[in-house]
Amino acid sequence: MKLQHKLTLYNTATKIAIITILGLLIIFFTNRVSLNHLQQRLIDKRDKLVANLSDEEIEDLLKKEASFTDYNILKEEYIILTLTVEHPRDVPVFTQELREIDQQQQEYLIISDVFVYQGRVFKLEIGETMEAVKQLESTILYFMLVVLIAATCISLFADLAFTRLLLAPFYYIIEQKLNRVDDPIHYNYTPTATSTDDFKLLDSSIGTLMKKLSNLFATQKHFISNISHEMLTPIAVLRTRMENLLNDPRVSEESQNKIAASLKTLDRMKSVVNSLLLISKVENNQFNRTDEVAIGATIREIFEELEDRMEVRAITPDVKLDHQFHFSGNHALMHTLCLNVISNAIKYNKTGGSIFVTDEMTDHEYRVTIADEGAGMAPEDIEKAFNRFEKLGTSGKDSHGLGLAIAKSIATFHQAGIAISSEKSIGTAVTLSFPVAVLTS
Amino acid sequence: MNVLIIEDERSLGLEMAGFLGKEGFVVEHAWKKRTAEEKIFVNNFDFILLDLGLPDGNGFDLLKIIRELPGRDDAIIVLTASGGLDDRIRGLEGGADDYLPKPFALTELLARMHAITRRKHKLEMNKVNVHGFTVDIGNRTVNFGSERVALTRKEFDIFNYLVLNKNRVIPRVSLTEHVWGDILEINSDSNFVDVHVKNLRKKLSAHAPADWFETVRSIGYRINI
Repeated sequence: MKLQHKLTLYNTATKIAIITILGLLIIFFTNRVSLNHLQQRLIDKRDKLVANLSDEEIEDLLKKEASFTDYNILKEEYIILTLTVEHPRDVPVFTQELREIDQQQQEYLIISDVFVYQGRVFKLEIGETMEAVKQLESTILYFMLVVLIAATCISLFADLAFTRLLLAPFYYIIEQKLNRVDDPIHYNYTPTATSTDDFKLLDSSIGTLMKKLSNLFATQKHFISNISHEMLTPIAVLRTRMENLLNDPRVSEESQNKIAASLKTLDRMKSVVNSLLLISKVENNQFNRTDEVAIGATIREIFEELEDRMEVRAITPDVKLDHQFHFSGNHALMHTLCLNVISNAIKYNKTGGSIFVTDEMTDHEYRVTIADEGAGMAPEDIEKAFNRFEKLGTSGKDSHGLGLAIAKSIATFHQAGIAISSEKSIGTAVTLSFPVAVLTS
Repeated sequence: MNVLIIEDERSLGLEMAGFLGKEGFVVEHAWKKRTAEEKIFVNNFDFILLDLGLPDGNGFDLLKIIRELPGRDDAIIVLTASGGLDDRIRGLEGGADDYLPKPFALTELLARMHAITRRKHKLEMNKVNVHGFTVDIGNRTVNFGSERVALTRKEFDIFNYLVLNKNRVIPRVSLTEHVWGDILEINSDSNFVDVHVKNLRKKLSAHAPADWFETVRSIGYRINI
């Protein structure tokens, strides 16, 4: 989940929680307050009633029905006075009850009091309707819900907009500057515009690191190029000397064999040095990209070149290319790239196997896949396959593990992708992907 | 034929001289650009083997100087340890007849020198006789008497290279490098050259015994003439 969304979600959740808690508290307290008010009013009424009680009224009450009931018209309150045998109370009791009056059920807050008047014990009940309180409660609840929804929506959009604005430099650094960089040399060192100090720090730290890295890379590449060059001359000396020795009649057969073996070792050394030189030159952009390269033609050319090698192992190429794809690149390098891939497909294929070459064109990419029917590779080996000097299960074969490293650097040089997919005992497929927009523009 | 080797790496120059001397070339050395200039002005050479990286100057400048001399037709083979495509193109465009990246096989150097000689003089020695077989280098064919021996391109290249370097053991590595070019990863397993040699020998033996076509155990091949 993106940081921006996390922040927005967090903000919204906390706002909902705060509003809900506040609303509940408000409801609780208003309930308490209005109940208190009601109770106070009831106490006042009782006091007034008791103080104003007259003998006449009492007599009236006792003679007639032994009970006195009074309702006001709206049935908001009622009074009942009865004779009772209960003990007089010091403190009146409040209850909340449903009462049906004239077929109308309402909740009432009722004060009941037992008191002595002129030697007789009376019970007094005064009820006051709770409707008003209930109404207030539901109004607050409704209001709260509206506020809650409105606040949530507003804060969600506001947060989204704000965090987007706030985090824009951050995302720029990550998505535009970091994600698109395959090599520190291509890093965009112009500082990102932001007023947030943390992002400024992040940007400058990454910039400094990248600069350090690219300096290190440059030094390393320079070193490789120099050392390779300085090694080729001594190798040339050794090679010529050994060749002369090999044809010297005074040298015994045994020594000749040793010289031949040394020549082979020397050749291996030459290959390694030349491969390193090539990679270093490709990575230092020392090649032109001005040739018109047709992948299909290049691949067919290579199959023709390697025909004799495939014949030896009875391997058949199966080239089915449906698209014509041209781009500006370096022909010699692309040739080397395809040659390395196809040569691997021959070397690691099963005897009598096939090499399938297929292509597809998507909206933004042209892809060529070269698949063999060899032993395949383990997933952990695929990751390592493009590393220099990585020899994967080729102990029996003569390889210095630079073929795919070369292929990778050439692909990168052309802004193309190279990927391996493989299944054990089914085969390995190498896919080259060319971004159409970049390469044909 | 006389050869000027312009090479600052003494041991390499001397090994080349030793090899070419046995082939009948008269060899002169120049270890620096300055001495090279002197020798070039004084003498005509059939071949100039020019190292590009000299201690007191650039080989390209020398190349230019030689090519600007009037009435000169010295064949120039550029030798360089930089192995770059750009150097190769620059060298050939600058008027070099061929280009050999270090480290090269001496037999390869000899083959290139022969090729240049043939090209320059449009030689009648385009045909070489090997124990009854006639190798026509210009037309890339091999005949036994009047019969054509049908060889593939690679088989012809192998045969031609061995004939050119007759009486000398050619290691598999050098043979592979000559026939398939200096392809980096490809040449690592050089044994597939054996298959081609086997086929070649079979085709030759069909016409006449080819015991002169020798396999030198664990080293390579030799054609004795």
